[in-house]
Amino acid sequence: MSSITVPSPAVDPDHPLVPVARGRRRTELIMLVFAFALIAFAFANVGYTLKGKLPSSLAEYLGAFVVITVVGHLAVRRLAPWADPLLLPLAALLNGLGIVMTYRLAAQGSLLSAPLSPSATGIQILYTAIGVGCFVAVLALIREPRVLQRYTYTLGVIGLALLALPALLPSSISEVFGAKIQIRLGTFTVQPEEFAKLALAVSFAGYLVAKRDVLALAGRRILGIDLPRARDLGPILVIWAASLLLLVFESDIGTSSVFMGLFVAMLYIATSRTSWLLLGFVMFVAGAFAASKLFGHVGERFNIWLHPFSGLNPSHNAYQLVQGLYGMASGGLLGKGLGGGQPYITPLVQSDLVFTAFGEELGLAGLMAILLIYGLIVQRGLRTAMSVKDPFSKLLAGGLSFMLALQVFVIVGGVTRLIPLTGITTPFLSQGGSSLVASWMLIALLVRISDTARRPPPRPIQEEGLTQVVTLK
Amino acid sequence: MNRALRRISIAVLVMFVLLLVNINYLQGFAPASLATKPGNARAFDAQFQYQRGSILTSDGVTIAESVPSSDIYKYQRKYPHGLEYAPVTGYDTLYSQSGIEYYENSVLNGSNSSLTVRNFIDLLTGKPRKGANVTVTINAKAQDAAWNALQTATGGKPGAVVALNPQTGAILAMASYPSYDPNVLATHNGKQLNAVDQALLQQAGNPLLNRAINYTWPPGSTFKIVTSSAYLTQNPNSSPQTNVNSPTQLKLPQTTHILTNNDGEVCGNGSGQASLLTAFAQSCDTTFGSLGMTLGGSTLNNFAELFGMNSKKLQIPMTVTQSNYVIPPSQALTAFSAIGQYSDTVTPLQEAMFAATIANGGKLMTPYLVKQVTASDLSTVETTNPTQLSQPVSPTVASDLGQMMLAVVQDSDGTANAYNTAAVGFTMAGKTGTAQNGVNNTGLNDAVFTCYAPYDNPQIAVGVIIQGGGYGATAAAPIAVQVIKAYLASLGK
Repeated sequence: MSSITVPSPAVDPDHPLVPVARGRRRTELIMLVFAFALIAFAFANVGYTLKGKLPSSLAEYLGAFVVITVVGHLAVRRLAPWADPLLLPLAALLNGLGIVMTYRLAAQGSLLSAPLSPSATGIQILYTAIGVGCFVAVLALIREPRVLQRYTYTLGVIGLALLALPALLPSSISEVFGAKIQIRLGTFTVQPEEFAKLALAVSFAGYLVAKRDVLALAGRRILGIDLPRARDLGPILVIWAASLLLLVFESDIGTSSVFMGLFVAMLYIATSRTSWLLLGFVMFVAGAFAASKLFGHVGERFNIWLHPFSGLNPSHNAYQLVQGLYGMASGGLLGKGLGGGQPYITPLVQSDLVFTAFGEELGLAGLMAILLIYGLIVQRGLRTAMSVKDPFSKLLAGGLSFMLALQVFVIVGGVTRLIPLTGITTPFLSQGGSSLVASWMLIALLVRISDTARRPPPRPIQEEGLTQVVTLK
Repeated sequence: MNRALRRISIAVLVMFVLLLVNINYLQGFAPASLATKPGNARAFDAQFQYQRGSILTSDGVTIAESVPSSDIYKYQRKYPHGLEYAPVTGYDTLYSQSGIEYYENSVLNGSNSSLTVRNFIDLLTGKPRKGANVTVTINAKAQDAAWNALQTATGGKPGAVVALNPQTGAILAMASYPSYDPNVLATHNGKQLNAVDQALLQQAGNPLLNRAINYTWPPGSTFKIVTSSAYLTQNPNSSPQTNVNSPTQLKLPQTTHILTNNDGEVCGNGSGQASLLTAFAQSCDTTFGSLGMTLGGSTLNNFAELFGMNSKKLQIPMTVTQSNYVIPPSQALTAFSAIGQYSDTVTPLQEAMFAATIANGGKLMTPYLVKQVTASDLSTVETTNPTQLSQPVSPTVASDLGQMMLAVVQDSDGTANAYNTAAVGFTMAGKTGTAQNGVNNTGLNDAVFTCYAPYDNPQIAVGVIIQGGGYGATAAAPIAVQVIKAYLASLGK
């Protein structure tokens, strides 16, 4: 009797070609609990330092925060079970730290710089709820990232309209500290640019995926650089003009650089052409330089950056920057401890300069940890972009990750005097709603794409190694 | 696309590395320099969070301390003997310091690196951080005598006294008149501070000036110590008994000017020759003018510099204003420079250094004010060891000059004979100076005196200058006597 040897299957169960896919939702939950522990500790720290006891509202604040983020976690379990397990806990940790800092700044101020209103912490938690709500909504509405490609032009128009809106509205409802970037609705303000960035990132991804071959291949070579065709330059010129308009009409250098950087990076990812990168960079620098000469508001930023300690600068124009630096310096390596420093001396420390408040109270050690958390989110995003197969999703994940990195670089670099300080929000940490909600939506998009990227391929109906026998009667 | 994504990842990595390096620089290396930048309220408030160290005299009198306060800051700086010790302590205001408060600021406020380990232990054991105490070399009895004598003896003329321990260079007394009360500058009220500061700056007599080390006057005849040192060193066979040219009138070359002695007096027996000792004791200007012309400006300059003049480097730790000897362009002016006129100027500290050098066998010890620094746990952080600044003259020449200075006080025709052993109760050696000033010498003479005592076992050297005081012997010497008397009494001798 000869036994029939069964051909070995193409996929050896012990050494799978594709790693055994696991959802890692339990990892996500454990990391989330770890984040809760850190935030609870930080809350307690503020209470003990300022009042010598646990904050009376600790249970409510922490409880609300835990419920909100656990809802987010459950939504991921249900809607994106294969998603990257670190994105949600990392975002939640930063968001929680932001709430703790808001609480700390509301609990103590000084004669010259009043503390934040007592309701600030509650409002920040409310924004967190809205943010996580939008996170869940994005996951629920967009089940497959590719569907977004359909709305390339719709989202592009919406994005540009959102950007232009504050410039068109009267200053009385749009101007804040010399920059026209918000819409005031009663007591609440919305910064439409935060949402415009997301809409435009999606729109860019759609446009570039469609046009990338034309952009990459057609063109002539001058001095060893592949230059694109004039007609293909259209979109980059439009975006360049839009970012310059932002600079000029809304005096918002920070967003305009994030915006330009996002577009150039996505163009580069789509085409792999260094020429686009150079062109975009040169155009932005030229635009910024011209603006610094033409518009006092922009030129002043450079002066503050280069000479913060000379003349009247430390007490006038550079006051905010140097006070932030002094705060970080007083924090030193280990910081003054949450509640132990004087971050309230720095004007607007709760929004643009919140990073320096963490530097003062958590020290260099704390800041390095915070930067590494941002770095990890960006790294998970870029990794998602690498592994996802669909070019649109790839471009979108790469663009969104780079935008987050660029935003952190612009604001953290600004407050630490690495580059000129421009007022943009610190994702998740700054007090305020628009930025927080938009950041959660960004994380939702990354979670959605990572779910697609990590989802195991559908099981084949049959082992490929076996020939299907069709019996004919 | 993945290749581009990888490159973007590298760009992101570079961005984060830049941020990390920058915050490491900011929080690891820059805090010390940022703390001194304008408008740093945090660094400013931090000074008042801790109890600043006290300043004490060598015999234990507290001259500056921080006491608990109930206003905006936890501690208030107090100066129990404000005016008297202001030249030593300086002030500690909201915005700035001077004197020891400034130069020892880092140990007083506890930020000095030598205190880091102790601060860390305090942090661990939960003890409040406290600055280190600074003990100065001042002897409270000598300082009291100097201050009281300056206030009363001269009828309110500006002047200063410095007393040194000749063997070590330790400053035993340093008083300046008029003075100010640093307590009023220690206010925590910024507006009040500005008003007080403005008032002090505009007050007649410039009370903020520490005349003991930061103002110079012509040394007058006390400079003859330098001229004599040069002569005795350059002429090894000479002695105080050597006869030198001592005319009643000295005709100066290339000018019609004739140098005479005070009131046209004769020198010695009027023979035109007198012993160096007699000429020194009587302070004959003709003798030393003549010697100066023989020695020449550059030789005098060398010796003046050995005694500490023409130096900007001296710090006690406060920076001492330079005492000047300028090489004169002509013989006639060299004669004037040899008797402490022309462009010669000295601080009262320099005057004390003249006598201290002679008292210490020709060795000049570096003057210093900080005796030691003691941490809050009473352990010694640092102690100043005496160092030699220079050796202007040999022990033999120093001994010769000692005899000559002794004659100034003890001989019947010495200019300071009123303070001989019988009159004051101890044996003093010294040199008077009466410096002419003003246009055509119409101003009041500045009174100068430098001395040490006891002669056979020198314990203290004193320099006194009273602006417009008149004769050194009548205005400056009695103040020195008071200081020496008080100091020797405190030593139990």
